[in-house]
Order: sequence, then C-alpha cells, then structure tokens
Amino acid sequence: MSRLHLILLAAAVAIAVAFLGLSSATMTWWQSRFLDVSTPALQAGSAISGKISKLNQGLKTLDELEAENATLAAQNNELKATRQLSGNLEDENRRLRAALDYRDRSPFQLLPAQILSRDASSWWSTAKINRGFGEKVDAQQPVLTAEGLVGRTTTVAKDLSIVLLLTDENCRVAARVEGTNEQGIVSGRRVAGNSSPELVLNFLNRDANIQPGMKVFTAGVSGAVFPAGIPLGTVKEFRTRELDGQAILEPAVDFSRLEDVFVVLGTK
Amino acid sequence: MIRALILAVLIYLALIAQEFLPAVPLLGGSHVLVVPLLFVYAALWLPFPGILGFALYTGLLSDLTFLHATGDQVEIGLGWSMLFYVFLGTALRLLQPLAPGGRWEIHCLASGLATSLLLLVQYLMVCLRRESFLLDGTILWQVFGPGLAALMLAPPAYFFLRLFPGRPWSQPDRPGLTS
Repeated sequence: MSRLHLILLAAAVAIAVAFLGLSSATMTWWQSRFLDVSTPALQAGSAISGKISKLNQGLKTLDELEAENATLAAQNNELKATRQLSGNLEDENRRLRAALDYRDRSPFQLLPAQILSRDASSWWSTAKINRGFGEKVDAQQPVLTAEGLVGRTTTVAKDLSIVLLLTDENCRVAARVEGTNEQGIVSGRRVAGNSSPELVLNFLNRDANIQPGMKVFTAGVSGAVFPAGIPLGTVKEFRTRELDGQAILEPAVDFSRLEDVFVVLGTK
Repeated sequence: MIRALILAVLIYLALIAQEFLPAVPLLGGSHVLVVPLLFVYAALWLPFPGILGFALYTGLLSDLTFLHATGDQVEIGLGWSMLFYVFLGTALRLLQPLAPGGRWEIHCLASGLATSLLLLVQYLMVCLRRESFLLDGTILWQVFGPGLAALMLAPPAYFFLRLFPGRPWSQPDRPGLTS
C-alpha cells in the first residue's frame, strides 16, 4: 500500500470518526432529512410491495382452489376466483370500518396512519409510517391499534416517522396485570426471529399470583409516554427468577399483520 | 465510471428495497441484505480512492437507514458503518491483484463473509450498549442467515453487474486477461 493510499485511508477514517462525534440530536436530524429525501421512494416501494403481496395472495388462493376442484370446469374456477376477490374487498372494508369505529369511540385524538415498511435489520424492531411532523406527529408519541399498543414514534420527518415497536427490547412500557396490584415493565426480546414475537413482563413480585390468560395493560405512570389502560398482551406463562417474577406475554397486536395504526396526538 | 454510478444508485435502491423483503423462515426468520454484496463488488473492482469513497457513501446511507434512536440515545451512532466499510474495502483491496476485476467465486465468498461480519459487529455493539450478552440459536441465525442468503444471491448479482459497461481498474488493457 503506497503512502498516498495510507493518507487517503487515514482521511476516510477521520471522516467516519468525525461523524461519530455528532450528538444524538444531530444524528436524528440527519436521519430525518434523509427520510424526507427517501419518502417518495419508500412510498413507491410500499405501493409496489402491497400490489405484489395481494397478487401473491390471489394466486395462492387460486392454486388451493384448483387443487380442491381439479375436476371442475374453467367457468366454475372463474366464479370462485371472483367470489374470492369480493371476499378480500369485504375483509378490507370490515377492517377499515373497525378502525374508523375505534377512532370515534377512543378517548384519544388519533391520527390514522399506514405502515409503509418494516426495518430490515436483525437487531431492532421498527416500522415506518406515512405520517410526520407535517401532520403534527412528534417524537415519543404512542402508536396503537384497536387491539392494543404498537409502539412509539422516534425519528419524525415531514411525511414519515419511525415507530419503535413494542417488540423491541428498547421499548419499555410500565404495565399492570388485570385484577391484581402487580406492576412491571414490558419489553420485547433482543431478537424475535419470527413474525409473531413474544413480550416479557419483568420486575413482578416472585410470589405474584399470575395465571395464564390474564390481560396486561399500560400502567400510565405519571410523566410516561403511554396513557393508562391500553392493552399490551395476555399472559402465557409466569416464572420466578432469583430476584423477581417474569411473565411471558402474547402481544395484543398481531405484529405480523400490522397495516393500519393510529398515532396518539393527545386526548379529546 | 458508468458502472460506478450505477452501483451508487443501486446501493441506495437496495437500502430501500431491503425494507420490503420479508424475513426468510428457512433462514431462521433472518432478513436478506443486499447492500454488503453490492459494496463487495465495488471494492473488488474500483481503485483504492474509489473504494474509500464508496465505503463512506455506503456506510453513511446504511447508518442513516438503520439509526436506532431511543429517547435521547442512539444505539449505534452515525459513522460506525462508515468505519466498517472503510476497513472492509481496504481488506478487499488486497484481493484485487489475485483476480483483476474480481472473480465470481471471490465475490460470492466475500459477500457472505462481509454480510455476516457486519451483523456480528452490529450485534456485539448492541450487546455492549445494553450491557448484557446473549447467544442462542436465533441470534446465530440472524448473524449467519443473511450471510447464507448473500452467498446465494452473489453469483447472479455479479453477472448482472458485469452487463453494465466499465472496465475494472486493476484489469490490464490487454486481451486474454479478462475473467
């Protein structure tokens, strides 16, 4: 390696180290600007991905129908495919109506949003939604569905925000167990590894009477990000550890089918 | 030059596209990462200043995409991926004389190793930040699964990228020596 190359290498390392010296706020600001620039590409990607996904679902259903009805005529197949298509539309209609109902009866001021994409990294559970500070979304705002808590916003760009999902180990929520005085901290696991991850509720009393099937809600501690009473999950298992008790929860929200969410802008 | 520009655009597009690729159940639910294999191709093909430029560009975009802010803290700061790609590019530069312009086998192996190494470094930093170290089958899959995916994707990517015009920097302008 020549001397010039060594100088260039040192310069490249110096540039990288200079970036490392930036404050967290500055780094988040840079990320927000990058998201602003990337929003059109992400929205286009989301639209294409959605179309491919629907196409795949349609093809799979047709394949299944074909296997079941191998002897039926082509016209019969066509009719079944048409019925399937209208069924999908009905499902979508039902889902959107349920979301609308929830917004009307919720005590919170909710902003509907759609999941654009999920984080491709292995170590963090985040998603991007199509709302940003242009619609008064701010960092650290709760995100939920009619079923329960989804997470909270972190970096916010103009028309896009990153949501730290409840399934991330860093998303810690004060929680209480229904029908008891037990309180603890819910968080995700470090690595989920599959599409239906579990949550853990730590710092419970070792002798707590917690049974599978009990519901867990946000505790709404003073000054916390999350209001009280939002469903988090259901207890699957309770185990005692050396110093505390730990419950394994099945999330209230199906994170593998997350599409429409609400950002909590405030109370009504 | 044209191929370098195409690579730069492809790296940005790959970062966006990665977000829409579903996790692969066969690989323990791990994600497919395309950016490291594109960088490896660039590093086997460009002159050293170009490699460093690409390393800073790829690292900056990767960091901006994956920056994980939790409250007032950032888990892996802006600049770590830049450092990783700078050192990876420097190491790959040493392979250039072995195969001018790169060979698909070298690209394939280096892509798999680079992808898993990137994830391993990220994971160690996450553990350091969270002050606890866990190791189980799921985590191993998350480290080595994407590396396996890169091994499989690298050959088609290599031959696809060779379709674009451009001569590798280290390849002599003489007939009979092209790989």
